[in-house]
Amino acid sequence: MTVACIFKAALAVYLVSAIVYGGSLLERRVLTARFGAALMLVALIIHTVYFIFHWISEGTLPAAGIYDTLSFFAWVMAASYLALQLRTKTRVLGAFVAPVISVLMVVASIDLGGSVAGSTTLKGALVTLHVMFSVSGEALFAVASLAGVMYLIQDRLLRKKRDKSLIHLLPSLHDLDRINHLCLLWGFSLLTLGIIAGSFWARIVWGSHWQWDPKQVWTLVAWVFYALLLHQRLAIGWQGRKAARWSLMAFSALLLLLILESLLFSSAHNFM
Amino acid sequence: MQLLLVGMNYKTAPLQLRERLQNSCTDQDIIIPELMSHPEIREAICLATCNRVEIIARVGDAQKGGEFLKSFMARQGNFDLSEVEKLIYMHRDFEAVRHLFRVSASLDSMVMGEPQILGQIKDAYRAAVDRHATGVLLNRLTHHAFQVAKRVRSETEIAGNAVSISYAAVELAKKIFGNLKGKAVLLIGAGEMSELAARHLIRQGVERIYIANRTMARAEQMAEEFHGAAVPFDDFFTFLPEVDIVIASTGAPGYILTPQMVSSALKKHRQHLLFLIDIAVPRDIDPDVGELDNVYLYNIDHLQDVVDTNRALRQGESLKAEEIIDAEMADFEKWFNSLAVVPTIVKLREKTDSIVQGEMERFSSWLGGLSEEDRAHVEWLVASIVNKILHDPITGLKEESSEGDEIPDMAAIRRLFKL
Repeated sequence: MTVACIFKAALAVYLVSAIVYGGSLLERRVLTARFGAALMLVALIIHTVYFIFHWISEGTLPAAGIYDTLSFFAWVMAASYLALQLRTKTRVLGAFVAPVISVLMVVASIDLGGSVAGSTTLKGALVTLHVMFSVSGEALFAVASLAGVMYLIQDRLLRKKRDKSLIHLLPSLHDLDRINHLCLLWGFSLLTLGIIAGSFWARIVWGSHWQWDPKQVWTLVAWVFYALLLHQRLAIGWQGRKAARWSLMAFSALLLLLILESLLFSSAHNFM
Repeated sequence: MQLLLVGMNYKTAPLQLRERLQNSCTDQDIIIPELMSHPEIREAICLATCNRVEIIARVGDAQKGGEFLKSFMARQGNFDLSEVEKLIYMHRDFEAVRHLFRVSASLDSMVMGEPQILGQIKDAYRAAVDRHATGVLLNRLTHHAFQVAKRVRSETEIAGNAVSISYAAVELAKKIFGNLKGKAVLLIGAGEMSELAARHLIRQGVERIYIANRTMARAEQMAEEFHGAAVPFDDFFTFLPEVDIVIASTGAPGYILTPQMVSSALKKHRQHLLFLIDIAVPRDIDPDVGELDNVYLYNIDHLQDVVDTNRALRQGESLKAEEIIDAEMADFEKWFNSLAVVPTIVKLREKTDSIVQGEMERFSSWLGGLSEEDRAHVEWLVASIVNKILHDPITGLKEESSEGDEIPDMAAIRRLFKL
């Protein structure tokens, strides 16, 4: 009960933070976004406390069940975005990040308090690692694509010389590109670790590393896509508009595949 | 409070008058002692900049003090007072406080939000302090004004947007590169405007400057000044892959920078961002260059447009700044009212003393019939009753005003006792 209250508190503060960020867009004031960031930090702390309590009472890390996973996804987004703010001046990017987090949290709250009766095959340290790594990687890809969207908007504004006050408000192209780059780099590393952990677990449970399960296929496709993108960035030196556009496409593809997959196929990866 | 602010600024007086006045007001060694030598002037600060000359003073008598300050100002500028009187404004007490707050927050400046004025007020204040021309009131007032300026600066974006062409270019560069540290600039044409922009860019951390100019001597001279490198004018495009920002301002009749040049430069530099500023008329850079990926091209009209928008933005921010000033005015008023506790107590004592004196006189014939000893007793009795009655309110007032957070309502006390 109290644990659920903590979750709701975190959700509420995330929502307020999203509203404040929206206000900074409407008002065209960076100052307001600073409050938004402070609120997001408060929400993140409450959210972390929730995970700790949850862990104490249920004994599980936030890796069991789809709703827990969504909440963890939101947590990683908030934590990574706030951490990146230390290195870059991108306060207003929160106006994109905070609403996404809020939506994820609202969806995650549907199953609040309900215990997850996952099959026994989906329990164990390796599964937890697999889920946490993969989800973190994908959450970072989400932040990367949001930075990409904002990059494209700022690029367009600068190019068309339109809406100067919005140009003034939005972060610099360089900082947005940097966030995109860092999130891709870390997201890719984490996703790779997640896939490795998963395949080890699969070896133990099913006897082989790879089952050609639909989700595995799609993940592999996404992984290859991101690998290529990262290669273009690091080796060919893709930067700016092209990189932003591709990371956005990669993430949209990832999202689309996830949705299609969970609607059309049933597999060991379906939690619904 | 007997505070007066007398002045002349760019809104009220034309430049040639301000010039004359400013010239004679810059030497604080002369001006401050002269002001202070007048019997009605208790404290004084004189602020003289190219946009305004203002004297703020605490005076004994407001009427005489005001007249003196106006004639003093006319005398300094060598004007006939009757001619310039309508150009001189005078604010009293809290209006003077508000005016000073607005000036230091740069709300009254020609270019609203410009940062210099605060430094100028600080200098004027320091000059007055050094010459022992300030006391409790002006010390407190000026420090409060600095605080107001700081608040306005941090809580509004009044100084946040560039309002000059060259600074607008710097702001845009920051929106592209984030930080200008370590960036390189190529100046094509070494005119006045590009020199100004280069100066701004260097202040923001730009590291290398290449200068290409038709007359090599001028390029070399400027290169020396900015620790840059002069490059041959005909080969300037070979330096394009090295730089992040280009400022073009030549007098060439046609385009000197073409899309082909830029795209081949970008290939060599592996897709980095390029910010091109074309401040030449007729233009130096082919507008098609702006269509290339990762290239941002701004010409003089675009920059002027940015400046115009920013002016309007500052106007909007000034409303927020006025709100801050209102709040700070209330604070200052609170402080000032607490000051008045002491004079109120003095007035209260004077009033009771005069009542006692009057009543004693009224009963003088009856008192005359008493013995010397009895009369002394009566006088002692009356004084003691009055003291007992006044004791609690007076100590209460003193305590409350020294505690700081609650300021007694002096107006009510004055009204009650008709002081």
